[in-house]
Amino acid sequence: MSETLAIELWTEKYRPRKLDDMVDQKEIVERLKEFVKDKNIPHLLFVGPPGTGKTTAALCLAYELYGETWRDNTLELNASDERGIDVIRTRIKEYARTVPLGEVPFKLIILDEADNMTGDAQQALRRTMELFSRTARFILIANYASKIIEPIQSRCAIFRFQPIPKQDFIGRLKYIAEREGVSLTDDGLEAIWEESMGDMRKAINTLQAAAALGSKVDADTVYRAVGKVTPSEVREMIKLALAGDFLAARERLRTLLYTYGLSGVDIVKLVYREVTSARGGLELDDKRRLELIELLGEVNFRLVEGADDEIQLNTMLAKLALVGKGLANVSAR
Amino acid sequence: MLARAEIPWTEKYRPKTIDDVVGNPEAKKAFVAWLNAWLAGRPPEKKAVLLYGPPGCGKTSLVHAAAKQLGLELVEANASDVRTSEALKRRVLRAATEASLSGARGKIILLDEVDGINPREDAGGLDTILEIIRVSRHPVVLTANDPWDPRLRELRSVCELIEFRRVGVRETVKVLSDICRKEGVECDPSVLKAIAENSEGDLRAAINDLQSIAAGRQAVGLEDLEILGYRAKQLNMFEVVRQVLTAKRPETARAVLSMPSLDYEMLIQWLNENIPYQYSPSAVAIADAYEALSKADIMLARIKKEQAWTLLPYALDLMTAGVAAAREKPPFKFVKYSFPFKLRALSSAKEIREERLRIARAIARACHVSSKKALTEVIPYLKLVYENDPQRGERILESVGVPAEAFAKAFDLTVAKRPPAVTRARRRA
Repeated sequence: MSETLAIELWTEKYRPRKLDDMVDQKEIVERLKEFVKDKNIPHLLFVGPPGTGKTTAALCLAYELYGETWRDNTLELNASDERGIDVIRTRIKEYARTVPLGEVPFKLIILDEADNMTGDAQQALRRTMELFSRTARFILIANYASKIIEPIQSRCAIFRFQPIPKQDFIGRLKYIAEREGVSLTDDGLEAIWEESMGDMRKAINTLQAAAALGSKVDADTVYRAVGKVTPSEVREMIKLALAGDFLAARERLRTLLYTYGLSGVDIVKLVYREVTSARGGLELDDKRRLELIELLGEVNFRLVEGADDEIQLNTMLAKLALVGKGLANVSAR
Repeated sequence: MLARAEIPWTEKYRPKTIDDVVGNPEAKKAFVAWLNAWLAGRPPEKKAVLLYGPPGCGKTSLVHAAAKQLGLELVEANASDVRTSEALKRRVLRAATEASLSGARGKIILLDEVDGINPREDAGGLDTILEIIRVSRHPVVLTANDPWDPRLRELRSVCELIEFRRVGVRETVKVLSDICRKEGVECDPSVLKAIAENSEGDLRAAINDLQSIAAGRQAVGLEDLEILGYRAKQLNMFEVVRQVLTAKRPETARAVLSMPSLDYEMLIQWLNENIPYQYSPSAVAIADAYEALSKADIMLARIKKEQAWTLLPYALDLMTAGVAAAREKPPFKFVKYSFPFKLRALSSAKEIREERLRIARAIARACHVSSKKALTEVIPYLKLVYENDPQRGERILESVGVPAEAFAKAFDLTVAKRPPAVTRARRRA
């Protein structure tokens, strides 16, 4: 390993190094181990919800294929961070030009968040994949297979990661808590499970943050940590919008967008959690809650389809005001 | 916060006498002669007059000023009223055949913006106007921007036509500087000249622009405009936004699209900023307007993503006519528009944002995530750890190669001075 310091974030500290250490995903692990045995892999596409082990599996595979030289033979790229396909192509070209070290005849290119690439960029990527298929293998990672164009899908072996079963999920959290000397109560565990909705990264981060608040992690500590991690502006924004104070609600929204740097989809997810949470403190009857959920689904859809997050979220705030006034049906014009 | 709604200066400084009306001396003379014939008890051959010309050149103002100066009662139906045959009959026809009730010398019947009558929605409206002219015992004045609209052919034949031309730059500057004097605003003459030139002879637009820039201030100088760097565009944008948001009919809003070099990406930002100022307190109007804007934004995204230029007309219609078609719009009020916050925020908070992004990138590399995910899914937890357990927080930051001070500064963190970790028995793994 090239790091001089072990990383102290528990998500990294307890990230499995070997395929056998992975939590669940048994069938996937078995097939990946076959690839390791053959010292050969096809292009791979890992899809599944966040925090289910996609990146971990890719890193484990790299480690098992190349051993200690894995870093020299693996290029990690994140499609969300690389501006444009040209950057990706140049980096891949430079990287794949040299011969791999060791007995594996190809280098590995891990492209994370590949579903964030536009259709055009994916077309270009497909040609790049063909061009370098002799010297490089790709692992593409995405939340949704449907956002990866067909020609790329057909060139890859697709692995679908399932949400980690509760049993295994909780077992892992208990293990980490024990190693870190954190006393984690049963209701604390239950609270983390509920708040993280199957996302292991979020669960471990929540555990670490809660542990910083007090040596005993129970449900109360977990909720306090989650509450502090969620900007208070989210709840304020919802309340102001429902009360019809559009301008004040928009001010909160802008803090979330431009000061916290949250994306529109991040924000609508947080709003959804507030609206559906039993502890949200929003006094809503079932009918309004349902109207809100329908609205949020539509907003999420439009955020993905649209260009400007603020415009879409301002639309949400304007419609929240109608829901607040009991005029939601008016919005179906 | 300053009150945003004020009396429109265009109303406040409407001319009170015929002499006060700026420009168009021949049109004024012709109109006064026609009116005097009525007042002398010898109705002219053409009982109605059609004042036509571009917007903001003084047509309506002249009628108002004449009524005031000559002590005539003004019976008015303008574009904001529904002008169906029935409504016109109820409101105007009777008034046109009866003597003034208020004891005034007489009346003027004013039908404003007749070219805006929608033949479908205002069913029979034009026929009723013809009838009003035929039976009226009082002078009937019509106004229109475009007198050659084919629908107005019959009206043209029964009216005397008087043409109004654009107001000149010098006259506009004079009006603007009078207003500045009365408002107690010190305004650089070159600013007034810029506004006047920009208005292209539309005095109303010029006065609105002046109010946008000068209202509530003591002095306006050229540097105020030039610091902004988008002077001409911004002046234009004020007017474009006003036309869209205060349009009484969707077609009026849509008309801004015929402006050459309209920057529609700027326009959607300006509308996003200013819809609530113009349409509050109506929640329905705000929601309707944003709904149209939201759909326009989706079209624009598809145009960008897929080069689907065929979608552009839909996007443009949605962001103009679609916005203006909002239901339950509040009555017109003068609103001082704002420059889009987003564009301001993106430039002013740039340094902070870049520093945060640098830190996020370092953390992203260590955690195998994108920098955006680092920002939203790792850093909030890290902040919490750092604030409550600074020693551990520092260790984590050190391990990912980010100096703790830089982290605290970039994310505005204050660390409690207590030593929190010592009370805790922590077996190190």
